[in-house]
Amino acid sequence: MTTSVAAELLVVRKRSSTWILLGIWSVLAVLFAYVIPYVEYLNGSGPGNRSLEDLLPDRLVGNLLAGFPFFGGVFALMLGVLALGSEYGWGTLKTLFSQRPGRLQVFGAKLIALGLVLVPFVFTAFALGAGASYAIAVREGADVAWPSASLILRALGAGWFLLAVWATFGILLGVASRGTSLAIGVGILYALVIEGLISAFADSVSFLEPLTKFFLRANGYSLVKGLGVSTVDVAGNGPGAFSGPYVGSAQALIVLALYALGFLLVSGFLLRRRDVA
Amino acid sequence: MNKSDLVIETTELTKRYGERVVAVDGLNLRVRRGEVYGFLGPNGAGKTTTLRMLLGLVRPTSGSALVLGATPGSPAGLAGIGALVETPSLYPFLSGRDNLGVLARHAGVPAARVEVVLEEVELTEWAADRVSTYSLGMKQRLGVAAALIKDPQLLILDEPTNGMDPAGMAEMRTFIRVLGRGGRTVLLSSHLMTEVEQICDRVGVIRAGRLVGEGTVHELRGRESLRVRAQPLDAAERLLATLPEVEDVAAVDGGLRVTADPAVAAAINQALVQAGIAVSELRPEQASLEEVFLELTQSEKEAA
Repeated sequence: MTTSVAAELLVVRKRSSTWILLGIWSVLAVLFAYVIPYVEYLNGSGPGNRSLEDLLPDRLVGNLLAGFPFFGGVFALMLGVLALGSEYGWGTLKTLFSQRPGRLQVFGAKLIALGLVLVPFVFTAFALGAGASYAIAVREGADVAWPSASLILRALGAGWFLLAVWATFGILLGVASRGTSLAIGVGILYALVIEGLISAFADSVSFLEPLTKFFLRANGYSLVKGLGVSTVDVAGNGPGAFSGPYVGSAQALIVLALYALGFLLVSGFLLRRRDVA
Repeated sequence: MNKSDLVIETTELTKRYGERVVAVDGLNLRVRRGEVYGFLGPNGAGKTTTLRMLLGLVRPTSGSALVLGATPGSPAGLAGIGALVETPSLYPFLSGRDNLGVLARHAGVPAARVEVVLEEVELTEWAADRVSTYSLGMKQRLGVAAALIKDPQLLILDEPTNGMDPAGMAEMRTFIRVLGRGGRTVLLSSHLMTEVEQICDRVGVIRAGRLVGEGTVHELRGRESLRVRAQPLDAAERLLATLPEVEDVAAVDGGLRVTADPAVAAAINQALVQAGIAVSELRPEQASLEEVFLELTQSEKEAA
């Protein structure tokens, strides 16, 4: 298994799309968490007039984690789709499944490699965010106080977990559609439209209301709310805006874990059972 | 034949797609250890589906197969198989060397094996280049290198000379012949009769998912006969039918096909000349593999 993981890490490491997605995600995460809000603060504009305190280092966790449940999730979804869906396009699944390990071992190695690739996605966003908040504090002559180490660690873990859940969704879509284009399209459609639309109708259609508590976004935002993400900021957060309903952190954690497990079980079943053309 | 001599053994192997499409229909294939076995068939005959079932990529609808004594697709079986099925499927953004490195890691073979197989297929010079920059022939050679990475007991090659220039094809044929020596078994699927004729110890012909002919190239081509052109032809036919050395005479394309040992050609010529029949042509003749192939694969269509 170790050698299979090493093989998959080589593939992921040398693949330009991995680094392109990492670059775009990192830049956009800082842009939306710090640069634009800081410009709004300087101009005295933005939702509820931005306060400087929101942009200082002690709010690092809440500021950055707000981008993970939806925005970061879409990037992770694309990584998940590419991890498996591309193999169908290149026909490399056929080559890999003709090697010594069984299909599930190849799948496991891909999962581990993908899980490891998500680590720099989390760390880079936090490192750049820390740099941006520090720069703002210095420029404004404000005190520099960092969140506690335990909070940062929990935030890093939560960030990785949220990306991992979306990545497993991407894996399922890639495997189910045996490709990338349809999978990414459906994934983004789901993230942008389906959950949002059903949530909008839930106000007038009563039986939809309980359903919305089991959506990826609802549970994702509920998980990060417990770590300091502002519900007010999230409600005015562009295409990923979320205004509830929120659930408890424990429920959010369990529901998201069950989603990831379900996605992986179905993906593994399909990979194991279906013919490889 | 001892069961342990069989590297591939299928029993009534069948693959259906839905109710109407039968890709492979009760195939019974036996490939012996150490031989180069040619697998011939027209497009859509079920060759590639069969190869995929042998690799565990496609599940049979019914029937069974054993490859190196193991179920197709099981790690135990795959450990001894190297395969190139259809076009080589490799990562376009990785170099040739990295592609082989990925496969070596998955297969659990030492990294040093990568350089060995690159050398074998003469790609060392281009090993650091991205596969997306390779020509079709280079990709094909890299595909063969990928098949060899495990130093397998059984090589399954599907159209390995596809896309190669004549010189490359000749090299590949020699290479496959060499691979077939020293106890390694090769299952070679090909459309090219000359390729199969030159390389293979035995040949199986598949049509509509069924094995319709099998044997050595010599066996499939059948006995040599004699081709006779003479005047008057009907007198020649009558005379030849009476000769004890001749088993059969048939009029073919304005001449006669005489079923007899080519060693008696001189005696036949003498008999014809003594009877006042002018002989303009007398030569040994044997059906080409292509003729046999066409006969085996088209007979059903013609009958219809």
